[in-house]
Order: sequence, then structure tokens, then C-alpha cells
Amino acid sequence: MKLQTRRVLDRSFSGMGYFSVFLLSASLIIVLVPIFVRGIGAYIFKGTVEFRRLNYEKFNRGNKETIEKEMAAVQKFRKPVYDMLAAFEKQIDNEEILNSHEYVRDLEEVKELVRELLGPAPGEPEAVMMRDRYGRTRWDKARKTLFHILYMEKWDHSNADEMGKKVMAPRVDQFKGTSFEKFFPYMEENLENMLRPRLTFYWRFLIDASFDAHLFGGIGAEVLGTIYLVLGTMIFAIPMGVVAAVYLAEFSKETGKIVSLMRVFISTLAGVPSIVFGLFGLAFFINTVKVSNSKSVLAGSLTLALLVLPTIIRAAEEAIRTVPRTYKEAALSLGASKMRTVLTVILPAALPGILTGIVISMGRAAGETAPIIFTAAVSVGRPLNLIETLTQPTPALPWNIYNLVTEHEAVEQIRHVQFGMVFTLVLLVLLLNLAAIILRARISKKLRG
Amino acid sequence: MKRLADFLVEGSLFTITSVSMLAVIFIVLFIAKDALPFFKIRGISEFFTSVRWYPSSDTPEFGALAIIFGSMIVTILSTLMAVPLAIFSAVSLSDILPFSVRQAVKPIIEIIAAIPSVAYGFFALVIFAPLLQQKGGHLLGIAVWLMGIPISLVLTYILGGTLADRIFKTSSTVHRTAVMIILEGIFIFGLYRIYAVFSNISISSGANAFNVSVILAIMALPTIVSMSEDALQAVGRELREGSYALGATRAETLWKVIIPAAKSGIVAAIILGVMRAIGETMVVWMASGNAAQIPDPWYNIFEPIRTLTATIAGDMGEADHVTGSARYHVLFAMAFFLLVFSFISNLVSEWFVVRSKKKWGT
Repeated sequence: MKLQTRRVLDRSFSGMGYFSVFLLSASLIIVLVPIFVRGIGAYIFKGTVEFRRLNYEKFNRGNKETIEKEMAAVQKFRKPVYDMLAAFEKQIDNEEILNSHEYVRDLEEVKELVRELLGPAPGEPEAVMMRDRYGRTRWDKARKTLFHILYMEKWDHSNADEMGKKVMAPRVDQFKGTSFEKFFPYMEENLENMLRPRLTFYWRFLIDASFDAHLFGGIGAEVLGTIYLVLGTMIFAIPMGVVAAVYLAEFSKETGKIVSLMRVFISTLAGVPSIVFGLFGLAFFINTVKVSNSKSVLAGSLTLALLVLPTIIRAAEEAIRTVPRTYKEAALSLGASKMRTVLTVILPAALPGILTGIVISMGRAAGETAPIIFTAAVSVGRPLNLIETLTQPTPALPWNIYNLVTEHEAVEQIRHVQFGMVFTLVLLVLLLNLAAIILRARISKKLRG
Repeated sequence: MKRLADFLVEGSLFTITSVSMLAVIFIVLFIAKDALPFFKIRGISEFFTSVRWYPSSDTPEFGALAIIFGSMIVTILSTLMAVPLAIFSAVSLSDILPFSVRQAVKPIIEIIAAIPSVAYGFFALVIFAPLLQQKGGHLLGIAVWLMGIPISLVLTYILGGTLADRIFKTSSTVHRTAVMIILEGIFIFGLYRIYAVFSNISISSGANAFNVSVILAIMALPTIVSMSEDALQAVGRELREGSYALGATRAETLWKVIIPAAKSGIVAAIILGVMRAIGETMVVWMASGNAAQIPDPWYNIFEPIRTLTATIAGDMGEADHVTGSARYHVLFAMAFFLLVFSFISNLVSEWFVVRSKKKWGT
């Protein structure tokens, strides 16, 4: 081959390398950016007056007078809407207009949408479902509803060869020539006055309970459940993992048959698919040992503890092995027993490394879904107190993300909650990993002196 | 007395250490215990040969072939996507990129590994699937151009030079350029034809085998990249320097010396990565479409499929009430199948790691 060709091949090989690393980083960004951008929307958004009313009535937050004043102000703008609706309805009833029955269904649709947008009309009896008691709490949702009031979906079948196309037809055309025509421009112009959007930082999303199948409120129960599961997992996994690491690094004979067998088993345990852990947890902890009658935080924690055990053992063993031999020898030469050396010299020196492993496994325990499906998670539940965790299942972030995305009755309505949950979970895991990265950087700094 | 105390301490440490060993044994025992009754009730052949999966009908059928097929197709596809990318990334991390960039890329890989699978599943279902459904053809078309243009340019350059030398005994620059332009023209025409085929693919459902495979490939990357990089690093300076001293370029050194030398480590990495893909639950459960069918034709990757893990996760909720029935036990049979597969691949991978360690004495 010619030198020139070889050079080009060399360059293109390097190019492929750069390209692969670029693609790898790009894939992370592509996954994370939409989750972050839309997830933040669950915390920071334009809240309408309905949101503030809900906050006051449900959580007693905010000032009664300001809210009453605000409600009075928006009612002034809402009144013409209800008046127009009532007037037109009356016209239909009295058959004052031509073909009045044609408008009945369309008007009913508009009324329904207005109700969705602004909440119940004044003087209406209080509804049972919470979703019927409040209008749109978020400005982006309100805009969407307004769009549905102004335009209606129609299917264009004019081209017989293709599938019908969706077109948005202005609804005002339906009511051309009637007194109701002016309703639509009024809605468009006065939406802001009717709802008064204001930029809201709803940090309590993280701790608020949810209402009416997550249509209102926050994700407090899920966050708490996740915290319980992570802490429970660590209670079991840390002692077992660290002790095992100490034994493997300090007490066992390096070449012993049993020890190498143990290593094989540990790596095998690390390779068991997470769903199998879930089945095992169900078959063993719940059906056989009966740590609880049915799913519980305890059973889930035990299952997750087995799952993260190999990670902790490996990280801790690695950390113990990197403690300089001189430390140990100095301690032993001073007459300390082996146990004492481990407890007072080796473990403190290895602590940052062990912590790194622990922090990473906490992230893993927080995010794993498959093992808790059969052992700990429920779709709907209230926040538990500490004693109940022994016997009760809990909602948890990863499971409820799945549940809200695939099994909720109004998936599109609660997109912001779903994104908020995913964002919260990913942020939690990333912060834990960041802590691990910082810890590791400090260790390597220390080792370099 | 002191001896006894030491012995007791060591004994208790040993006992706690063996928890992981016991855990593995118990997992096998308990999964097998609930898996075997299924084969007793229904026999073995139906599970592996029938594609009819109707566990809840009055005359239940438990043919898992389509589901096993689903698991396999997803695994193979994601491996095909992940392996080249991962190996090139590992190579450039160990040999090509400057140190500072390397330090920046490592946390990225860690973060890819750390993101919970349910978040990937959410991305696949809520963001990627609609995108595929609406703009799938375009996306594939763009991918064809992105991949095709650089490869075609390199090929043109190399083939063009050689071809010109063959045709004209003493080729001048003009000759060569002419040949290259013609070649590149042919390549671009070929690419355009491929592009036309791909961009005409209309994807009826965004939740399909392709979607899941892309996401699983991303998830498998960290394992393969970091393990392969370790293997490449373990080869050591001497071989690299020897190769450079003989006049090889960096690409030749890597391609012909270092990668072959690190082969066993890389194979071990790939096996572990594949295992990740086959054992992953949430992504496939959320975004594979969950249709227990073999697509028609079988290589149509834009059809919904269903995998073993997703079946276990999805059906256990209902089968829970009928503990003891074939419907309950069949899920354990699937788990047992997964477990055996993971054990085998783990052992094989371990064996490769040991082999490469022996080779390089580290």
C-alpha cells in the first residue's frame, strides 16, 4: 500500500474513533435534554388563578383575601362567557333561529370545553370528582383547551387514495350568522384575564400528595417510597457488603478454592437479570419466608439489597486493597490485633472508596423497577409512616412512572407529572453519581499526595 | 483462647461473605422449584415450538417461541448497533483521544450507565416512539447519509488511487481525480437508492423492535466500552512501541496488533453487554409493543414484538392470583430460561477474562 493511502486510512480510523465518542455523548444528551427541559416544567410553570385557588382550598396556602379578590376579578371577565352561552341556549330553546336543533350538539361540546377550561360555572352544585371542581391550573394546558374551543378536529377524506388527513377547522364557522359568533373572539382575547397566569415555582411538587389520580398535586408519596426503599436496601446491603469485602481482602487466602468460588458467585449474582430478582423476592421473601403477608417495603428492600450487594462488595474490596500496605504493617507492628487494625486503620482509610460504591448502589436501588414490581410497589397509595414500611407496599418513583405512562386513564393530561417524576428520579440518581465522582476525585488527589 | 476468638471472628465473617453465594443458590433453587411444575403440567415441546401464547383463555396455550424470538431479535439488533460503536469508542478512549478529553468522556459513560432503565423506557415510549412513527423514514434516511458519505469518501480515495494505477499504467493526478469523481458519483447514486428505500419505510407503530434495540444499545454501551478499554489498556506499551518501531501507523497498530491482543477481554465485554440487553425489563416492557408474534416477514424490525422479561413483568400481576396454575409456573419457566442464559454467558465471559489476564500477566 502507498504511504499516502496508509495515512488516509490512519486518519479515517481516528475519525471513526472521534465520531463514535461523539455519538456516545450525543446519545446521552438526546436522552437527557427533553427529560430535563420538560421535567422542569412540572416545578416551574405559569400557574393560573385556578391553581392558586386549589392551593388555598386543598393546602391552605396563600392569602384568603387576595384569592377572593382575584376570583372576583376573573369572574368579571368570565361572566360574559356564561351570559353568551345562556343567551344562545335560550335562543335555541325558543327556536328563534333557523334550524336551531343543529346547534345543540356543537354547543354542548363548547360548554363542556369551557367547563374544562374555567371550572364549574358560578352557582353550579359542587362536583364529586376533583377534576370537575377546578379549571385548568396550568397555562399551557389552558392554551391547549382554548385551541380545542376555537378549532375542531375534522378528517379530510377528499383524496380517496390516501388515508384521511386530520385538519383543524375553526369552530366559529359552525355558528356563522348567529349571535354566538362573537363568543370565539371574546374567548381568545380574554383568556388571560379569565385565568391570570403567573409564573409559579411549585417546589412543593416534590413533597405534595397527589389528588384525583395525579391530575392535581405532587409526587410526595412516590418520593417518600423511593427514599424508604433506598434506605431499607442500604440497611441490609452495607453491613453485608462491607463485611464480605473485608473478609475477601484481608482474611481470606488469595488463592483458596472457596474464595475463588465465592468470586465466581459474586459476579454471577451481578449478572442475574433484575426481573429474576423480582420473581425470587416474591417466591422467597414473600411466599416462603413470609417477611410480610403481601408486598411490603421490607420485602422490596431485601430484594434490592441482594441486587446491589455485588456492587458494594466490589467497590469496598477495591478500596480496601488500595490502602497502602504500610498502614497495616505499622498498626500490626504496634501490637494491634488483626480485627483492631481493620476497624481502626484500614476501614477509615478505605472509607471514601467504600462510600463511592455505596452512593452508586443507592442510585441503582432508587432506579430499579423490575425487582419491586412484585415485592414492594403499588400504583396508588398514601405516604407510609416508618412502622408501616414493615408490612405495607408503597408507591415508588420508578414504578409509578411506568404506571402513569402506560396504565393511566388520561395519559396525555398528566404528561407534566410524568416528566416531573422522570426528571426527579434522574436528577436524584445523577446527584448521587456526582457525589461519587467527586469522592473519587478526592481519593485520587489524596493518593497522588 | 485468643485462637478461638480469632476463629469465631473469621467464621462469622465467612458466613456473612457467603450470603451472595447462598443468594445465587437460593435464586436457582426457588426459580427452578416453581419452573419445573410447568413442564410437568404442559410438557416441554409446546413451550419451545409453538407460537400460540394464550395463557388466560379457557383452553390455555403456552407457546413461547415468538417471545423467545422477540428476546433474541432485540438482543441481536442491539448488539449489532452497540458493538462497533462501543469498540471504536473504547479504542479512541484508550489510544486516540487526548488525556483531557478522556477525563471528560468517562463521567459521560458513567452517567449513561447510571440512568435508571425506567427513564430510558420513558424516553423510548414518550419521545422516541412518536418521533419514529411520524418521521421514521426521514430519520433513517438521514442516518444513511451520515454513515454513507464518510465511508464512501474514504473508499473512493483508496479504490480510486488503485484503480487509476491499474487502468493507466502511469497515472497522473488528472487521471486519478477523474476516476475518483466517477467512483464517488457511483457511490452517491447507490447511497441515494438506499436512502430512497429507507425514507419510504413507513412505521405504523413507534413501539417496535427497532426502537427498543436502539435504546438497549445505548444502555449496553457503558459495559462494553469500559471493559474493552480496560482490556486494551492491559495490552501494555511494549507491543504498541514495537509496532510503531516497525513503521506501522496508529491505525495499523491498533487494528492488527492491539485489538487482536485484547480480543478475549473485548469478547468478555461484549458478552456482558449482550446479557444486559437480554435481561433488561422496563425498556422492552414499555416500548416494544408487547405483541407476542413473530413479525411477518421475520426480519421486519419495525413490527411490535414481545420479550421474555416483559412477559414476566406484565403477566405476573394477573397470574399472582392463580398461584400454582400453569399460568403462574410458566413465568418462572421463562425466568429460569433467562437465568440459565445469564449464568452461561457470565461463565463464558469470566473464562475469557481469566484467559486474557493469564496472557498479559496482570
